[in-house]
Amino acid sequence: MINAVLVFNNNGQPRLTKFYTQLDTQTQQSLISQIYQLVAQRPSSACNFLPLPPILSQGAASSSAGPSDAPTQITYRTYATLSFIMISTSTESPLALIDLIQVFVEALDRMFENVCELDLIFGYETMHAVLSEMIVGGVVIETNIDKITAGVRTQEGSAGKNKAIQAASTSLGRGALPGLGAWR
Amino acid sequence: MAENRGRLLGKMKGGNQVRPIGLAGFCKSHGKYRMGRAPGWKDNASFRQGTVVFVLTFGIPTARGASRNKMFEKSLYDLIKGLRTHKGGEDEYVQDCLRECKAEIKSQDMDKKATALLKLIYLEMFGYDMSWAAFNVLEVMSSSKYLQKRVGYLGAVQSFRPDTEVLMLATNMLKKDIVSPSIPSLSLPLVTLPHIITPSLAMSLLPDILSRLSHSSPVVRKKTIVCLYRLALVYPEALKLSWPKIKDHLMDDQEDISVTTAAINVVCELGWRRPHDFLPLAPRLFELLVDSGNNWMAIKIIKLFATLTPLEPRLTRKLLRPLTNIIQTTTAMSLLYECINGIIQGGILDGEENLQERDEVASLCVGKLRGMIVMNSDPNLKYVALLALNRIVTTHPMLVSVQQDVIMDCLDDADVSIRLQALELAAGIVTSDTLQAVVNQLVNQLQVASLSFARDATDPEFDPEADSSARAASESPEGQRASNVGPDTSIDLPSEYRTEVVNRVLDICSQSNYAEVTDFEWYVGILVKLVGLLPPSGLDEYYQQTQTGKWSINGSRTTVAFRIGSEIRNVAVRVRGVRPEATRAAESLLLVDNRSILFPAGSNVVNDVLGPIAWVVGEYAECLVSPDRALQSLIDPSNASLMPRTLQLFLQAIPKVFVQLNRTWGAKDTWKSELSLLLARVVDFLELLAAHPDLDVQERAIEFLEVLRLGAEAMRSNTQEVPSLLTSIIPSLFEGLELNPMALSAQKKVILPPSLRLDEAFHDDLPGLFRNLDRSMLNVDTRSVLQDFYHVPDLSPPVNKPLYEAAPIEVHLGPSYQNTVGGTIEHPSVLERRKVERRERFKDDPFYIAPGSSSGTSTPVHDVFKSTNGDALDIDSIPIVDLKLDDGQQGRVDRDSLTDRQISPKKMEVTADETFGSDDTPLHDSLAGTTRGSTGYKRSLLQVDSSGLGQLSLGKNDDRDPIVAGDEGDAEMTKAMQNVEQMRLRMQRASERIQLEGTPAEGTLVKKKKKSKKKPDDGDIEKTEPSRVRGKKEEEKGGCLIASHFKVA
Repeated sequence: MINAVLVFNNNGQPRLTKFYTQLDTQTQQSLISQIYQLVAQRPSSACNFLPLPPILSQGAASSSAGPSDAPTQITYRTYATLSFIMISTSTESPLALIDLIQVFVEALDRMFENVCELDLIFGYETMHAVLSEMIVGGVVIETNIDKITAGVRTQEGSAGKNKAIQAASTSLGRGALPGLGAWR
Repeated sequence: MAENRGRLLGKMKGGNQVRPIGLAGFCKSHGKYRMGRAPGWKDNASFRQGTVVFVLTFGIPTARGASRNKMFEKSLYDLIKGLRTHKGGEDEYVQDCLRECKAEIKSQDMDKKATALLKLIYLEMFGYDMSWAAFNVLEVMSSSKYLQKRVGYLGAVQSFRPDTEVLMLATNMLKKDIVSPSIPSLSLPLVTLPHIITPSLAMSLLPDILSRLSHSSPVVRKKTIVCLYRLALVYPEALKLSWPKIKDHLMDDQEDISVTTAAINVVCELGWRRPHDFLPLAPRLFELLVDSGNNWMAIKIIKLFATLTPLEPRLTRKLLRPLTNIIQTTTAMSLLYECINGIIQGGILDGEENLQERDEVASLCVGKLRGMIVMNSDPNLKYVALLALNRIVTTHPMLVSVQQDVIMDCLDDADVSIRLQALELAAGIVTSDTLQAVVNQLVNQLQVASLSFARDATDPEFDPEADSSARAASESPEGQRASNVGPDTSIDLPSEYRTEVVNRVLDICSQSNYAEVTDFEWYVGILVKLVGLLPPSGLDEYYQQTQTGKWSINGSRTTVAFRIGSEIRNVAVRVRGVRPEATRAAESLLLVDNRSILFPAGSNVVNDVLGPIAWVVGEYAECLVSPDRALQSLIDPSNASLMPRTLQLFLQAIPKVFVQLNRTWGAKDTWKSELSLLLARVVDFLELLAAHPDLDVQERAIEFLEVLRLGAEAMRSNTQEVPSLLTSIIPSLFEGLELNPMALSAQKKVILPPSLRLDEAFHDDLPGLFRNLDRSMLNVDTRSVLQDFYHVPDLSPPVNKPLYEAAPIEVHLGPSYQNTVGGTIEHPSVLERRKVERRERFKDDPFYIAPGSSSGTSTPVHDVFKSTNGDALDIDSIPIVDLKLDDGQQGRVDRDSLTDRQISPKKMEVTADETFGSDDTPLHDSLAGTTRGSTGYKRSLLQVDSSGLGQLSLGKNDDRDPIVAGDEGDAEMTKAMQNVEQMRLRMQRASERIQLEGTPAEGTLVKKKKKSKKKPDDGDIEKTEPSRVRGKKEEEKGGCLIASHFKVA
């Protein structure tokens, strides 16, 4: 299963954190920063798999000995300024996870046309909605982009008009602020 | 800056490399949600407009509401903007915001509440605690507006922790939402419950969630299936009830493909816990695998089959054909990879029958994997192919070793992850023929890396010397593959990687007692090189990670530097043929002048390497080139700053080398002056350490100091010849049988004498003794007490009396390692009699511990002691355990020198560990056992514990209860246990309801407010479900929430 989905930008600022187990906030933060450290030092030509950070490798000594509950693989993928990370157990296929991240980003791209980091900062809730249409409780429930976006649109459909205005405002906001490098 | 605006998909990395699932191209033309960019985006008016409009998303459709918000409170947008403008003082700003949020979230205005909550959730992402808002989360969850409700549920997902207590208040609200007619509303609890579920909550909600399995919308059904899975993890009973229904959905051909996939995914998660339960599904899974054409699902089915095939050999035969078919035809790399992986992990290659077919499949897999490495420049495929090869190599090492060329190339890959995988693989496939090439390549890699590092550090310009030595290294006759390691591939290697490489090199060479090493002189040379190539960090993580909490024998963490030192020692001890070379290598590392050259600068590597090396220098002092210089280095005053455990070994080596020196100098005319000078210097050094804070160092230093002082005294009196103390007595301390390697498990096999009671306390009131001692220390001058203690044995001061009584000091010379009679074993009856006598004699002595085993030989010292002490010293009765040397001989590996390159055609004999009897419990197992035990309690972070499912048996057929199949009594017992468990959960829930009266301050505060709103006759139950009340009221008001807001305001 998938244990966590993380999104952070090139500066290590989180944009989305979703843990499929309950974890206290401090541990979450140290996990994020440790994974960011790992991602940051990898060249763009490197493969999309990370070694386990120290905080995760403590209990996972028997990683190769077949399936277990402990997370053993971290798959990441970087798009422009954002890195998408999935932490999973060995029951997930590593290559399929790379594709799953791709599906996630493409679904976001449909929700926010031509998606960029700022869209996700302001469309924080929508991003969570997209994710919850794809993964529930760490299990993948949908990989079809059409169905994912349809699911999110039914959710936000009741606020359809507002949604459209919001999208416009987001686009305004994006343009309106010069020097957005260090948005939090 | 600009990168924030970068389109994610525009600059997508490696976008089309791994896209087997057949995704369509990127969708860029859906302009529905965007009205286009406003031209005048820089002026403030539109800025403000943006703010206003953004607030609208939180369910305030009127301009009035919006403007009010703008004036009095921050929206999420404002918060984000504020964070940006308060760069540097962010924390202060956030604290301000948190204060505001705290006030806003208590407001009666649901919009305000939801906005505040959304801001809190956003800040929580950055690590700001919001656990205090748990009750407010519930309030927002109970909102009747979907978008507000969604914020509430999101808050629950992001902020509820196992210790969040308010959750039990939510049961009824969750029940209500689960059966909501609106799909989005009912999806909220379904996707939220997996994060917050508890056993008691699961029990209450199970019937409602189960009913959702038959919902008309596939969206609901698939979410329900997954939700039930997570319920089952905390409340296994749930699976028993839901499994028949989930299975129906899985079996149903007409079912929506998404639902089937979700069910497969859940079964895949459950599969490895209880593979037996899912065997009956095999035909349906097979059908889905062959016919569905959905690659995502196929991958999962193959993963599932990999856990099922070991249980059912017939499956293997059935699967082989479709899997090979997929491997040969599919264009989806992930599916191809999972097929190969499934074949490996499912043990399809392992069986006995159908050997030819299996070999064909195996070579097909390996061929495809080779293709993934060679043909594609995609690093991901390289990485996973190496992963798969690593799994094959355990069963089919021959097949993999054919691919050696590719793997060797991967060792030089730019990607460190790939290198590490290749490294692991290389360790699996080395043979005596390839070992030197592989190791040389790795060492060259390190050399190039460290040279480039040094060049960067010292002078950015071209450094001719470093380059020439790099070239020399790459042109050395052994470095056949060195040409691959050009300067272009020398990327900056992280020190973890370098440590890993050194560890791997040592693993490769030392595996199965150096079975693959043919040229030990070469190996010693490599070891010396490795010392210089070590990364400067002291403690490496490798051993901490892989063998949690493993401590080496002398109680320190194994560092890689220590490993290298130990390897040199091991080679010197085990391989007699290269002992002189190994000793000389050790000598060269030890010399003070060489340390700055041979060791990496500014590291504490020195400490770890020098210890074992000093031991080698001392033990095999006769092989030293220059014992004089070696001794000078050993007693160099700078050594005093070394770590205690290194110093201990130094101290042990000093007299050994001194004796050797003495032997060579004894013939010289000038011996006397030189020797006394040397003695004085050694004594000087030992005196330096005689006050060392580490007790062990201090003890050894004082021991040798006293002995050597005796020697110095003898020199002064006896003028004509070397005193016999120096020529025979001191040397005899270190002579005797050769020291051989012992198996770590051998010590355990020494039988403890029955009289040895390790579990009993020395004294009942030991702390009391020490208390008394402390008090006495306070009163009496320490020095005089000590003097009294040593010099006035009979008239000990009264304050010391309790201790003294409890511990009668008896001079007892314990056995040394050397001075026992070797070889001869006395008649058992005599031994037994002496044992009994000794036991009797020492019965009341708390400090007496019966000696275990010792080995050695008779030495002059023994005789000296024996003559002086007479029979009182009963050394002969010390039980000697006979080492069964046959085992050791069995383990000796005679290696024929196969390679013509080998300089010396002499056979290298590698001494194996000595042990007793059969080595039935290898150390590794016992170690693994302990680590497993320790990790069993400490589960990994993020881990979802599914162990509860292990005991659960799924009633696959409703008519055939699996429990009945078992023993009748057992079944009843199990049923009774289940009933008890259910009762317990019910009682837990009941008590939780009662606890409501005493909810924390946050809760009571709000409750009061609510009470004022609520009708008094609503009663106690209504308190637990504020949602229903709120819902009704809002319905009455026809959803006109804003009106009420203004009333409140």
